[in-house]
Amino acid sequence: MIRAVHIKRNFIEQSLMSAVSFLKDATLCEEHASHNGFLQSLDAKIKTISFFVFLLTAVFLKSALLIGLLYAFCLILAVMSQVPLTFFLLRTWVFIPLFSFCIAIPALFSFVTPGEPVWFFYFLGVKFIVTRPGLDGAILFVVRVATSVSLVVLLSLTTRHTQLLKVLRIFGVPQVFILTVTMSYRYLYLFAQMFENIFTAIKSRVGVVSGHPRGQKVVAWNIANMWNRAEQMNEQVYLAMLSRGYTGEPRVLTKSHPEYKDWAWLLFSLIICIMIIYLGYRR
Amino acid sequence: MNEITFELKDVYYSYLGKFPAICGIDMQIRQGEKIAVIGANGSGKSTLLHLLDGLIFPDKGEMNAFGMALTEDFINNSSSARQFRGRVGLVFQNADIQLFCPTVKEDIVFGPLQLGIKDDEVLKRLLTISKLLNIEHLLDRVPYQLSVGEKRKVAVATVFAIDPDVLLLDEPTAGLDPLTVRIIIDLIVQANKQGKTVITSTHDLHTAGEIADTVYVFSKDKRIVRFGPTAEILSDQSFLQANNLVHIHGHIHDDGSSHAHAHLSLEKHSN
Repeated sequence: MIRAVHIKRNFIEQSLMSAVSFLKDATLCEEHASHNGFLQSLDAKIKTISFFVFLLTAVFLKSALLIGLLYAFCLILAVMSQVPLTFFLLRTWVFIPLFSFCIAIPALFSFVTPGEPVWFFYFLGVKFIVTRPGLDGAILFVVRVATSVSLVVLLSLTTRHTQLLKVLRIFGVPQVFILTVTMSYRYLYLFAQMFENIFTAIKSRVGVVSGHPRGQKVVAWNIANMWNRAEQMNEQVYLAMLSRGYTGEPRVLTKSHPEYKDWAWLLFSLIICIMIIYLGYRR
Repeated sequence: MNEITFELKDVYYSYLGKFPAICGIDMQIRQGEKIAVIGANGSGKSTLLHLLDGLIFPDKGEMNAFGMALTEDFINNSSSARQFRGRVGLVFQNADIQLFCPTVKEDIVFGPLQLGIKDDEVLKRLLTISKLLNIEHLLDRVPYQLSVGEKRKVAVATVFAIDPDVLLLDEPTAGLDPLTVRIIIDLIVQANKQGKTVITSTHDLHTAGEIADTVYVFSKDKRIVRFGPTAEILSDQSFLQANNLVHIHGHIHDDGSSHAHAHLSLEKHSN
């Protein structure tokens, strides 16, 4: 008879494996960036500039309806870029906008924002009045946060992380800094994988990682071991760079080649933003 | 007679000044030679390649490259360093060390770009080498998503893209499948036919005959115990056994007779 064995993971093991899994997911989540969608086909620099313009528009608009229009436009872009809508909505709405909604709740009531009452209720004998300016302010805040978060998430989902880092050059970030960050990013995955392998090796020898005192020792020893490995690898990678002619000032193929389509997109984005801002001004 | 590429006279090197890695090496390598450096683990093969690539420098002894003293001062001079790096390329044993860029494409073009080669020429080399190694489909991939064999091919490509006169290869075929081994060996042989000096560190005695005309054997005490034509050294089984390069194993022949002795596993012999 086969008995089902309940494998109980302890706190240390669970935390470490979750951290490793998160790191691997974060470094591998370029699945959508490799799709053949609209935003993926655009030049990374031009795309970033256009999203920056959208973000500024969302920040300065004072009408929730117009920001909502921008949000709808963002959703259309997500669909055109083959980003599944359910995935996108879950990713953008689950934490930050809901959190901002919680922050905005006090602003709904008359004791924070006085004005025309819209609705009221009693709680513990106290009368809570929701006011129109309060409601408008809360909606504006939540829609603005949701739109901004959605724009940033859409940009990061449809652009490879390495390309996004290269875009930092627009803002005058030195090439050597970008190279260092991209290299760190590249080796983060390697170390996460190494850590996972070490843990599997420990488990294969001792069954499960033992309780807290022993577990803490194992983790501490592994952190020290990883530190040593990282230092050794750091030296060797530097030698590998020197071997291929690196002299401290990296030269990379940075030339991006925006096409007519990219410039047309930038122009279109500017027109959209100007139109929305104009509508906001008219209101 | 071809000109001397590397000359080492009584070279010593130790890590942290107390762990000897190379003890009194003498070598003379001529342009266009095909050399294999063999020896047990920890016998100093990788250290030798790092010395030849000007990444580390001897504690004692003299080292010359292309008729000039290969010293720290020589490498610290940017113009001589650039010239040297353009002439000597090293494929590291661990491909993860060699592939430090975010994408395969950037890794391949890294070397030529640092050496000041023009963008058009760099892109031309990228296309040629990626076609030659059949890695065109990997160019936009990130190195950590590659298999061991793919990483090794890309690591080789990063050095071939520099188009150096001297190729230093640190165990280029270790742990690879037979097809990838064949591709890399063919590439090494082809490069040598084109006039490049090839120095390979290896444990794989089966491929040594193809990738080397001369073999240098390192002993456990970090010295060169013998060097000479590949066929001559590989046929001396008692010598290879004494240096941990072959092992004794028992086996049964087709006629049912069995015995134990040392020989290369693929080698056929009479009863």
